[in-house]
Amino acid sequence: MQLYEVLADQISHQWTSKNRPPTLAIDNVSCAFPAGKVTAIVGPSGCGKSTLLLILRGLIESTQGAIRFRYTNGSGAIVDGAPARMATVWQSFNLLPWRTVLDNVAFGLELASVSKEERYAKAHEAIKAVELGGFEGHFPSQLSGGMRQRVGLARGLVMSPDILLLDEPFGALDAQTRVYMQEQLAGLVETAGKTVILVTHSIEEAVFLSDHVIVMTARPGRVAATRDIPLPRPRAIEVQNDPRFSALFTEIYDVLRDEVVKSMMG
Amino acid sequence: MIRRTPKRDYVPFYGPIAMIVFLVVWEVGLRIAEIPELYLPRPTVIAQNLYLLFTEGGILQDLGVTLYRIFGGFFLAAFVGIVLGILMGTSRKLYAICDIFIAVLYPIPKISLVPLLIIWFGSGDLFQIVLAALGCFFPVVINTILGVRQCDQGLILAARDLGASERQIKWKVVFPAAVPSIFSGLKLALGIAIIMVVAAEMLTAKYGLGARLQLSGQILETGQVFAILLLLAVLGGLLTKGQERIDRMIGRWRT
Ligand SMILES: Nc1ncnc2c1ncn2[C@@H]1O[C@H](COP(=O)(O)OP(=O)(O)O)[C@@H](O)[C@H]1O
Ligand SMILES: [Mg+2]
Repeated sequence: MQLYEVLADQISHQWTSKNRPPTLAIDNVSCAFPAGKVTAIVGPSGCGKSTLLLILRGLIESTQGAIRFRYTNGSGAIVDGAPARMATVWQSFNLLPWRTVLDNVAFGLELASVSKEERYAKAHEAIKAVELGGFEGHFPSQLSGGMRQRVGLARGLVMSPDILLLDEPFGALDAQTRVYMQEQLAGLVETAGKTVILVTHSIEEAVFLSDHVIVMTARPGRVAATRDIPLPRPRAIEVQNDPRFSALFTEIYDVLRDEVVKSMMG
Repeated sequence: MIRRTPKRDYVPFYGPIAMIVFLVVWEVGLRIAEIPELYLPRPTVIAQNLYLLFTEGGILQDLGVTLYRIFGGFFLAAFVGIVLGILMGTSRKLYAICDIFIAVLYPIPKISLVPLLIIWFGSGDLFQIVLAALGCFFPVVINTILGVRQCDQGLILAARDLGASERQIKWKVVFPAAVPSIFSGLKLALGIAIIMVVAAEMLTAKYGLGARLQLSGQILETGQVFAILLLLAVLGGLLTKGQERIDRMIGRWRT
């Protein structure tokens, strides 16, 4: 499997909508998301993290700048090339409310004309992986927020994407489930080898899960700081007791706090 | 110990009881007042007429003809209206083109198209179906466009992220998202179809419930008139109920 690197080159994005003044969401962001690694983006609410993910995924076009993908080919040269598969896990879940859990998770495979048998088999597996076995026949409206979020996660994972984009994927989970799902995700990225871009507002989550953290400023989002997370893998939740963990936490928190204060001042 | 729910008035019986009281008063009142059947027949006479219509009057055939016309028009309009509505809702160009025609044609009372439609289609089934379809089309297309417009952008992004083509987005996301709104359009449309077909049958047809109603009136068979009205009421009620049931079945996910 190819590992893809993502490069954001001087990305700016301005939202324009009919009855609102235009908003500059992100301003001249350049950053790299290394191949096969987990990169976390943290920043105050409204600083353009979700917007940046949309641009990275190619679902909207940035008003300025470009996104590039690179991978190392068979002869060891780094070449440009877009990945075959990317999947997004959405902050607001975006499940199709008229589809059951099973059919939501199988949706992407259905779109790719995968046979019913195969896509249901894969969907069942992904549903088990997010601990939702037994809820296959439920509709999203019958699930809690945390369960919906896990359906969203399963729907992305079932596509076995080269690049996985996660927008606050654990925000709606209760504390216990969150730790459990974070450990699951840590295990997944350690074994599966994909490039993961994780947006989160939790510094603990960023440090625990990622190899690399990008801190964004208050809106318009710029890169305030970047930090490598050299904690050993595989990681279990106990790594939070490691003194290096708290040192990294404090370091990132100091940058972020200033930005959060700025964003609250308006 | 299991606690019993306290006894309460059982409300669902209130309606039927009120209806029975009403019928009894009607029956007895007319007998006492000796009002001639020509003006207002008693319920028992109406029931007798209804029975005769089925056994000797061949009303089933008329019922079939009327249903055929109602559903012919309804399904024709539903199909064209839903497809066009989705295309209009998703393509701004097509919307701009079609909107002006809809704006002009919608306010025309469809029944006023009867003379023109008869010139074009004669006075047979085709005319009835086209008239019903014209009446049904607008609520369907307008509600479909509305439903499409209300589709959550997030769902479209999610589908696109999972690799959906524009066509797949249209039929697997936008259309199902619009179904509740489409259904309220179809509900309106079915009511209109019934009105259109019965009215048109009264004006021109030889067969069908409307035609029979008109005929019965002309020969002063008031009992038959009431019997057919009763039949129309039951028909309308059943169709509405059936539609509600389908709506609930399809909308299971909304709970
Ligand atoms: N679809 C949109 N249309 C207009 N403005 C938007 C849209 N999405 C986000 N914005 C604006 O862009 C800014 C950044 O939003 P977002 O990327 O969601 O931030 P974050 O995910 O960091 O909380 C906000 O001011 C928000 O109001
Ligand atoms: Mg966000």
